[in-house]
Amino acid sequence: MNQTTIDSTDRAIVEELRRDGRATNQQIADSLGLTATTVSSRIKRLEDSDQMRVVAVSDFSAHGFDFLMRIAIEIEGRKASAVADELAQLPEVHAAHLVAGRYDIDVLVALSNFDELPAFFLEKIGTIRGIRTMTPAIVVDITKYQFDVAPIETRT
Amino acid sequence: MAESRLDDLDRRLVDLLALDARVSNRKIAAELGVTEGTVRGRIRRLQDEGLITFTAITSFDMAESTRLAFISAQADVDKVREVAEQIAALPLINGVLITMGEFNITALCLFKELGDLVDTASDQILAMPGIHHVETSIAVKTIKYNAKIAKIT
Repeated sequence: MNQTTIDSTDRAIVEELRRDGRATNQQIADSLGLTATTVSSRIKRLEDSDQMRVVAVSDFSAHGFDFLMRIAIEIEGRKASAVADELAQLPEVHAAHLVAGRYDIDVLVALSNFDELPAFFLEKIGTIRGIRTMTPAIVVDITKYQFDVAPIETRT
Repeated sequence: MAESRLDDLDRRLVDLLALDARVSNRKIAAELGVTEGTVRGRIRRLQDEGLITFTAITSFDMAESTRLAFISAQADVDKVREVAEQIAALPLINGVLITMGEFNITALCLFKELGDLVDTASDQILAMPGIHHVETSIAVKTIKYNAKIAKIT
């Protein structure tokens, strides 16, 4: 992991970008009393060290995802990481974590609607070896979904 | 049938901005073969309709809360919304889903020390009136995480 020291200027810039990721360097500089060059180089450093990304985040509804489900999975006779890797290949799987607890893998699935569930369950999940049980939790409401802290992948 | 609220051009625009939101309209316009005015108009519409937002995403590392846990809770069904709101107000909780299944609340907890997780799950959530059972599951490795599609409105 790339370690970069984060100071209060970095944090202030991040806060400005959280509010508006498309604010210009000059706008950010003006509100923080910095120069646009400083803002620009700080942003570059945070991005290059994989500490931050400034991105467009789109709503589930923009993509027509109306059916969200969390599935807790128990594994048998196979490495959990191998099963998780296969699950992660599925476009419907938006998050997959290896977990310690009663279950082995936790996934978040997004589908357009309930009609897509049989095919997803039987033809996709059903062909992955090593899944012993699946405990689904169908999302009926989202009280809070703060997405601004996340694992960041190195850009290729 | 839920349909995507993005047309083909919107989707290409969103895909580009999901990689880097700070690309200029001019560059996007050149890449997509449309005018800068079209890019500007599309972005404004997507923002106005609450379909897209531009923000900084920081690593767990920078947040100084390097671990993620799922806290599943069983709450009285008639109190589930109220309890979910209370859980959402806890400092380490960054997501709360109301679900149908063995548990009716899933909370995502970002923590640094194991003690902080125990405090959140056992001392705070389990102690709330209307909560009967709490189960914790700690993410030891993230295999996939799509932060680019979320609940934003």
